[in-house]
Amino acid sequence: MKLVSARYPLTLLAAYALVWIALAIAPTDRWSWFLENLLILPFVAVLTLTWRRFAFSNVSYVLIAIYLCVHAIGAHYTYRQVPLGGWVRAAFELQRNPFDRIGHCAFGLLLVYPLREIVGRLAGVRGALVYWLPIAGVLALSSVFEVIEAVVADIVSPGAGPTWLGAQGDEWDAQMDMAAALGGACTAMLIACLIERMTARTPAVTPP
Amino acid sequence: MNVRPFSERHLLHALCAFYLVASIVAAIDPVKRDDWLLENLLVFAFVGLLIATYRRLPLGDLSCVLLFFFLLLHAVGAHYSYSEVPLGYWAKETFGLSRNHFDRLVHFSFGLLLLQPAREVLMRVAGVRGFWSWCLPMTLVVSLSGLFEIVEAVAAWNVKPELGIAYLGTQGDVWDAQKDMALAVAGAALAILLAQAASLWRRPASRVPRLR
Repeated sequence: MKLVSARYPLTLLAAYALVWIALAIAPTDRWSWFLENLLILPFVAVLTLTWRRFAFSNVSYVLIAIYLCVHAIGAHYTYRQVPLGGWVRAAFELQRNPFDRIGHCAFGLLLVYPLREIVGRLAGVRGALVYWLPIAGVLALSSVFEVIEAVVADIVSPGAGPTWLGAQGDEWDAQMDMAAALGGACTAMLIACLIERMTARTPAVTPP
Repeated sequence: MNVRPFSERHLLHALCAFYLVASIVAAIDPVKRDDWLLENLLVFAFVGLLIATYRRLPLGDLSCVLLFFFLLLHAVGAHYSYSEVPLGYWAKETFGLSRNHFDRLVHFSFGLLLLQPAREVLMRVAGVRGFWSWCLPMTLVVSLSGLFEIVEAVAAWNVKPELGIAYLGTQGDVWDAQKDMALAVAGAALAILLAQAASLWRRPASRVPRLR
């Protein structure tokens, strides 16, 4: 069994903690920030606590850390007020701040590769399905997230429907979010597949 | 898993024959012809896939029976363009519901009836075992439910508006997509529970620890 050092993921964890604390100090809307972070802390805790039993590759940890930072920025500005999204909105004359859509796309783009490691190494999936099941995983998680978001929206502002914060008045918000995650996941799996094909073709170092 | 040759699978013959007759009857005079066609596009692709992969991956009897019931429910829904299924109207009047809930029943059935076929495929193609032979089929079924909602939305944008609304079957519910997906999750979860209960039921009595 290959020995894995904890230094790399621990450094990432420390860097993420700094970013998270900096963005936790004065968020735009404390209640919204709290809701957005409700799922994040258990996620990070599970990642940290399960490291001994299942360590992701360093690439996966970097991807997860980038995603968590994107989410921390979104949570700090309640997503629809993120300056970058406001700039994109003004530049492309969009109807709404697209940062949450970018966040959904980043979810698929950045987390499908870690899911692939779970599917391949932990679940032991063989064959071409090792590329397809992580995409299904992203889409399933995205769907479940939309269901949770709807339940939360109905509790926070009953009867408001898609006019509530998360959907920003878009009646197709859920489908667009899931499509963004799906697009991100497909892109990342395609890139991973191409890289693996290319590196597999380069001749391995032959023993003397 | 060894599946008998097609010529010996009399149950499968009966299912195929019944489904074929039911599809033809449902196709003769649907409530809305355009809508019926739209609802059946995915069915043609799916049944075609089942037939094309039969030689390489023939599914067992249980999966075939479950797929049969799902396809039959969908054929009924497509015939009545979902929002006008008599059973749904009956439930609406009897229980005082706000809308015809037949489409919700079929979303629930999607999870309930397709979990086992998905499990069989993943166990045989991907070789998954144990916990993952339940988790991954659930993931697959939920993701397909999500994909369907995306496809449904794209279809609703492209098809002419009045038919779009009929096809969409949101029937004025703003959380329609989320409720549909939640029902698929619930159906798949129930399928897992039932499968676990069935495996307990089949376990030989001697293996069950006895109380003294």
